[in-house]
Amino acid sequence: MATTSSESDSSRKNTDNKENESKDEQNNMFECNICLDNAKDAVVSVCGHLFCWPCLHQWLETRSSRQVCPVCKAVISKDKVIPIYGRGNTKQEDPRNKVPPRPAGQRTEPDANTGFPGFNFGDGGFHLSFGIGAFPFGFLTSFNFSDRPHGVPVGGQLQQDDHYLSKLFLWIAVIFIVWLLLA
Amino acid sequence: MNNIATQRIKREFKEVIKSEELAKCSIKVDLVGDSYTELKGEIAGPPDTPYEGGKFFLEIKVPETYPFNPPKVRFMTKIWHPNISSVTGAICLDILKDQWAAAMTLRTVLLSLQALMAAAEPDDPQDAVVAKQYKEYPEIFAKTASYWTNVYAGGPNKNTDFDSKIQRLKDMGIESDQARGALSTFNWDLERATEQLFS
Repeated sequence: MATTSSESDSSRKNTDNKENESKDEQNNMFECNICLDNAKDAVVSVCGHLFCWPCLHQWLETRSSRQVCPVCKAVISKDKVIPIYGRGNTKQEDPRNKVPPRPAGQRTEPDANTGFPGFNFGDGGFHLSFGIGAFPFGFLTSFNFSDRPHGVPVGGQLQQDDHYLSKLFLWIAVIFIVWLLLA
Repeated sequence: MNNIATQRIKREFKEVIKSEELAKCSIKVDLVGDSYTELKGEIAGPPDTPYEGGKFFLEIKVPETYPFNPPKVRFMTKIWHPNISSVTGAICLDILKDQWAAAMTLRTVLLSLQALMAAAEPDDPQDAVVAKQYKEYPEIFAKTASYWTNVYAGGPNKNTDFDSKIQRLKDMGIESDQARGALSTFNWDLERATEQLFS
């Protein structure tokens, strides 16, 4: 009896060791290709390479002009990355929303506000209209990103909305200036 | 230093130590000081090249932004190669510049450098003099590279002919490294090397 129990003990230890080894191997399989640690907020590229989203995001930022997969150099971008949701994860949030990409610089084409430079109210007047004129655009900037739905890829709809809103605000600004001129 | 950089270098260091190449003595990495910002690499000259049998040391500097930007690597051991400066040891290799990718590691960099030693790119040179010789006089290039390997990297191939020419210049009061450089540049033409050194 004693011998058999010790044998089963040792065999169990062996299987334990094997399990540990295979666990290690499994862990290796889920290492981020950039930080070489277990992938946090894991995303996978279309070419099949695993990364932490913060790591990949920083890589894409570093090489914004030439975005390629850090492993195989296939062309990738933020939109061609698939988030991975495990079962244990309570917050099923798109990791791509967590480290929001820096908002792109916002600039308006000169023809959109041709009215501004031509007007001369004197110093005080000019400053006033400029401040108010800039307001809707500042508002737009914050609006853009807080409103983005979680997990839904940014479609053309939102961009259209943005376009529509910017036109709307432009008209409000123009009407305001006209009202100022008349008053 | 940035945490991700240190973490990664520590892991990569272990990777090199565990690697097959270390077992074959083909690549090696050592720490310089306590920080992981500076390392010393070592590569064996690849077989069937003029560098065979030599040991080449590299200075590896890890930037704060690693692994998003490549490590700065330079040959500390003098080497005669079209893509490596014979004076400063600066390396012209695309993956150490714009072709760097964040998934590359110390191990892959060292192996790439070993591959570069085996397959030079004379059309994209770092050292124009060496590249010209490589293209126009491949035999003299091979002899020179082998000789430099012997002198600076402990390679096996001695060359008494080259030694005696250097000795002639040393007798005229020229330092041996300078004499070797000039003679190598002028394809071991003693007259032209002398002319250049004394002009």
